[in-house]
Amino acid sequence: MRIMVKTDGDLIVEATPDIGYVHRGVEKIAESRNIIKNIPMVCRPNIADDSHLNWSYIAPIEELQGVEVPERGLYIRTILCEMNRIASHLYGMAIMGGVFSGHTTMYMFGFGDRELLLDLHEMLTGARMTFSFSVPGGVRRDLPKGFKEKLLDTLDYLEFHLPAIDRIFLSNPIFVERARNVGVLRKEDAIRLGVVGPVLRGSGVRCDVRKDAPYGAYDKLDFEIPTFKEGDSLSRWLVRFEEIKQSMAILRQAIRDIPKGPIARKVPIVIPRGEAISRIESARGEINHYIIGDGSDKPYRVKMNTGSFKNLLALPFLLKGVHIGDLPIIYGSLDYWPIEADR
Amino acid sequence: MSPAPGVWVGSLRHLVETVVGLPPFKHLVNWSRIYSLWPVHLTTACCSAEFGALMCPRYDPERFGMQAAAGSMRQSDLLIIEGTITKKMLKRVKVIWEQMPNPKYAIAMGDCACSGGLFHDSYSIINEVQKAIPIDIYVPGCPPRPEALLNAIIKLREKIRREEVYPK
Amino acid sequence: MTAALLDVEEKVATAVREQLGGAVEEVKVERKGRISIVVRKETARDVAAWLHEMGFDHTVAVAGIDRLAEKRIEVIYFVSSFSRDDFKHIVLSLKVNLDRDNPSLQTLTPIWESANFFEREAYEMFGVNFEGHPNLQKLLLQDNWDGPPPLRKDFKIPEMA
Repeated sequence: MRIMVKTDGDLIVEATPDIGYVHRGVEKIAESRNIIKNIPMVCRPNIADDSHLNWSYIAPIEELQGVEVPERGLYIRTILCEMNRIASHLYGMAIMGGVFSGHTTMYMFGFGDRELLLDLHEMLTGARMTFSFSVPGGVRRDLPKGFKEKLLDTLDYLEFHLPAIDRIFLSNPIFVERARNVGVLRKEDAIRLGVVGPVLRGSGVRCDVRKDAPYGAYDKLDFEIPTFKEGDSLSRWLVRFEEIKQSMAILRQAIRDIPKGPIARKVPIVIPRGEAISRIESARGEINHYIIGDGSDKPYRVKMNTGSFKNLLALPFLLKGVHIGDLPIIYGSLDYWPIEADR
Repeated sequence: MSPAPGVWVGSLRHLVETVVGLPPFKHLVNWSRIYSLWPVHLTTACCSAEFGALMCPRYDPERFGMQAAAGSMRQSDLLIIEGTITKKMLKRVKVIWEQMPNPKYAIAMGDCACSGGLFHDSYSIINEVQKAIPIDIYVPGCPPRPEALLNAIIKLREKIRREEVYPK
Repeated sequence: MTAALLDVEEKVATAVREQLGGAVEEVKVERKGRISIVVRKETARDVAAWLHEMGFDHTVAVAGIDRLAEKRIEVIYFVSSFSRDDFKHIVLSLKVNLDRDNPSLQTLTPIWESANFFEREAYEMFGVNFEGHPNLQKLLLQDNWDGPPPLRKDFKIPEMA
């Protein structure tokens, strides 16, 4: 995206985002393809968060078909989504804490740890990032042998390594000075602008679809929603950091409690007549897919709305009146993924 | 003759270009070029996530001299076109390509950059980037694994090693 | 689904019917967490203001739909609540039907500021004119786009199997 900035000396007077550089027309193409063939395409807008987009696309179809996914399938989807959330948060923290702060240390930390999670993804689904794992009725594969041990090993390693991020960055006065009290979004403004995800929770609003409207196995798992009330860039970074820890707790419970049984139900490849909207909490916020079916195997209309597009309105609001040197930190703290916003 | 730095004048320039094009100097110049390929990380679409993963400690392209370098196009040699190029983006890609000084190389990464890929029937993308920018290496995949991209960079290095210093 | 589980949704639907009466054409509780209201374009803004007062403080999405067979364009505002705990799980759809040849609607951005970019997208993809929008310009399409609004059904792209 391009940000057009008008400045008065060093202070930004007005900032206008110009987006659409990656607009590929996913919604239009989805109308002319079979619902199964749409899955890889609909997941591409956020390649680092594939499992959430996948689930969000499949959920309205399952609702219209009236099919109930077996418990084991829901648990496997939850496990994949939480692993994906940790990987995506490490990516977001690496970009803001690293590249946009002017160094590459956090970038290397974040991406280095993320590689372990991508190995787990590959073991479960066959691909590092583009899983296309959920289908209407369940998931495509069961947990392979040795997956549980490898997952627990990776979680143990992350628990050992995450305090290093705490020591190196959060007690580092340079990083804290750059992010503390920069880009403050108050609670009333956050609600008014309709932001979602870590941006919302960093401003003191305790809302998360996993708790408010539980789906999958989330109503059976015990976890917290980290919220910080300061509303500055550091709070948004900290929300992601704490969410990684919560995701690790969810993964430990899910892999321990996963029931035996089938992983999918066979369903016909048709969308019955009707409309349905899904709500899934991805790493960057709530995503929705609104699907209208007309009885054929192609959707009549697919409307996608993603966390980054909802958070876009915060950018011109936050950039008013700040120093131009604060722009990268504020932009990084929103964890804006341009491809997801443009679809 | 490719554009040369402004210092050379007339036949002195021609003399230097001939000498540098001869084997011992040519190998030295090409060797230095391949060990300092600085990429412009043109994050257009999804493949940029795999390019970002390439720059991380596991794959370590810095041993090849590829640094996730400074922001300026004027200091980069390698344009990696990652993912789909939309019609809106094409103008900016051309501007970036023109800003890069010679010698410069381009890699088309991902199915979308090679031929349109998953979105080939979209109303807003360019299917054939090679008509706008001369591509040296095509890397298929959706997205290509970092190892595939590293393989492409190694092939590009072999291509540069065989090249003339001042191509006609 | 027992009545107790749909308690909140039924209360909202009843309040809409009682207090808005003739301003809405249809109110329906589809399932837990999903309510839909159909309004006429003239009364859309009043209904939106009433919903905002009730606690639906942000838009989740704004969808345009081209119902070619019925010659209408439907605009749906999906709204939800961050501030009221009992409404957090509800997505309420506010549906407005517009004439396909000249679709225009008063913007709801004075009530829900979060609908700003969503309305711009509906404008460029379907050609809906949102009267009074602060900045009704193209958002996603290329600068020199001269074709018809791309998400309308009569704009065709090559079909895949």
